[in-house]
Amino acid sequence: MKFNTKKWLLLITNEKINTFIDKIPPAPQALRATISLLNSGELVKASQIAQTDLALKSYLKNIVNKPVYGFKTEVSEVSQIFGILGVSSSQQTVYNYMMTLLSPKKWELFHLRESTFNELQAKLSRKWKQILQHLNIDDMDIESAITLLPASIIVAEALFAEKKDDVALLRSVNDLDFNTILSRLCGVDLFDICEKISIKWEMPKKIAHIVQASSGCKPSEDEELNTLGKWMHLLLFYELSQPVFIEASLNDFIEFQLDYVADIYEDFAKLMEIS
Amino acid sequence: MRASVKDGVGVFTPQGFLDGNSAAALLSIEDIQATTKLNADMVLVSLKKVVFFNRNGLDTFVKMFAKVRESKNVTVGFCDYDLKKYKAILNFYRGDVNFSLFASQDIAHLFAPSFNNKNLNVLLYSEDKSQRSAMAIELHDGGHNPIITQTEEEFIAKQNAENAYDVIIENTYLGQMGQNVSARVTGNAIIYTVTSFLDAEIGNMFNIAYHNNSLNVGFRLFIFDAYKVVSMNVHALNFFSRLASSAAEYNATICFVGMTFEKTPITFKENMEDSGIMFFDQMENILGDKEILNELGASSAAAVQNKRAINKVTVTELPSFIDATVATIEMMTNSRAVKETAQIHAIKIEDHQDKIASSIGFYGDIDGMVILIFPKDIAKKACQLLIGEETDDLDLILDTLAELVNIVGGKVKTLLSNHKVNVNITLPRTYPDIDSLLEIAQDRKGVQVDLSFDNDKFLFFLTR
Repeated sequence: MKFNTKKWLLLITNEKINTFIDKIPPAPQALRATISLLNSGELVKASQIAQTDLALKSYLKNIVNKPVYGFKTEVSEVSQIFGILGVSSSQQTVYNYMMTLLSPKKWELFHLRESTFNELQAKLSRKWKQILQHLNIDDMDIESAITLLPASIIVAEALFAEKKDDVALLRSVNDLDFNTILSRLCGVDLFDICEKISIKWEMPKKIAHIVQASSGCKPSEDEELNTLGKWMHLLLFYELSQPVFIEASLNDFIEFQLDYVADIYEDFAKLMEIS
Repeated sequence: MRASVKDGVGVFTPQGFLDGNSAAALLSIEDIQATTKLNADMVLVSLKKVVFFNRNGLDTFVKMFAKVRESKNVTVGFCDYDLKKYKAILNFYRGDVNFSLFASQDIAHLFAPSFNNKNLNVLLYSEDKSQRSAMAIELHDGGHNPIITQTEEEFIAKQNAENAYDVIIENTYLGQMGQNVSARVTGNAIIYTVTSFLDAEIGNMFNIAYHNNSLNVGFRLFIFDAYKVVSMNVHALNFFSRLASSAAEYNATICFVGMTFEKTPITFKENMEDSGIMFFDQMENILGDKEILNELGASSAAAVQNKRAINKVTVTELPSFIDATVATIEMMTNSRAVKETAQIHAIKIEDHQDKIASSIGFYGDIDGMVILIFPKDIAKKACQLLIGEETDDLDLILDTLAELVNIVGGKVKTLLSNHKVNVNITLPRTYPDIDSLLEIAQDRKGVQVDLSFDNDKFLFFLTR
């Protein structure tokens, strides 16, 4: 009779979380310099630095030419891209690129590809801008806050991929989402880890506060940030209800808090023309 | 998307926005096929986390309901909605609502055959008089006390009375209800619900493999809830007589409750009594009387046929059983297991204090039973992930332990199928103390593996 209990890894541990956080690389020098220059409104200088990072250049070109941005002719030069996007959206796009540095080469837990993940980032970013315009908010950090949200998906993938069968079995008897499982087992949730990422990458604090509120589980005491959290939570589930993301198993990776967004739903539905 | 199943009720929980495109993406053909194979008496779609839906979105699920009902005659419908959503659904399917609508999952459970918290005072109201009656009949048959209100004013007045009712039902609609022979466990008895006309079809509707394995797991009292039986023919009579004969070999008892013989020859009753089947007028006459329960075998288990030795085939697969158990408990407690000893003998439990247990049977290419014995503290820790908080409520812990053992069973099934061994699993059974476990297990020989989780002892026993 042979059996080996050691081959079973625990579902998730604080050590595993800490290892994941430790492995997050610091933001590359070129990116930090680009963001810093964008913060000062130096679009031309920022584009010159960004031009030196070929991967960033390729990402920007790929993203900006997606249908969601609606450009009729191909945009290829970084200076052109930054010029069209403006300071806020350029910063947002550079942050989106930084997030992709964390995403896995091959997705195991979610049925995603690099292009699908990029599409989610682009859709969230465009609609977030639309929401902020609707709310008359013109704030570069708030506009960039949406870029941290998909990090929660990357974190869930990194922590749960190797135990996906066990999680599926657990969920066959109890409808638990990844955020709840993580929180109950380790006392931290996906959004706490997103906040750690934002600290490591020296993102403005406001970004982490809005994303924490957007979990739907931890309302912010700051009324403005809390309202933004509601809009972001609803926007996330609006996008995660699209067939491509449902098929990627993203629809239930965190729990939708309907009550949390109840007071803004009508406004949201009108803005997104949902009938 | 797959349904999660608890207490015989399978629930889909879509989130966000539900239109034709998203619903089609949520429910693949494989998902529908898996749903038709679920061991559930009820299949529901919860709208609790749906902020927007339209007719196309619901249609995908309504088509799935039709497929489920084609293959299994179970209750299907939507649940967890507010008044606005309820009105929208009725409006979408005006005059053609062939599924059920339950305002909450708690209300749905009242109508599920597996629901075992009986005798509740239920206040109910529906604008539709026939619905009021249908609900009252179902609730009454389920052992509850329905209080029907005839007008909305009366309903509003009554629902404001504090603590007068256990459950209040409104905005609920009963479509076609399930008619399979469903099974539920009440204490140590298994209750089967039979309805309408019993004929040769009972042989197809009754899951004989499940019944046989329940005998093997140690259940000794089987009650047929026959309140809704109109009549029975000779084929059904023969079926039940055969069932009684096989039960006698296990020293088990079969009872019928609520069966009237107005449209069935009274000689059938005599024949059934000759086979050893007992008749009672009310369920309460059995379940409410501990002496009768003991006499009928609900607390003892003279396992005449059960003293089967553990065999080589089962022992060969032992690593799969251990792996499944260890992996599940490690997952739930987030702590590592260490194997201490593994031996073949009758079950040995040194300290009976503060321990609870659970068992689950399996049958198919191989058959047997896994028994898990937990110190209460480990059980509490293991259940914390599912419950979400610490609790000392023993009933809740036992209920959650059954879910946990279900996960073990599911994992065993998967690991064995990797070895091309196909098995099905029975409903899990729980034991609030070691004495009640030993009533069914003390004479059985099996493989006992002592494990330790963070220095807490945990016992695994595999037997036949």
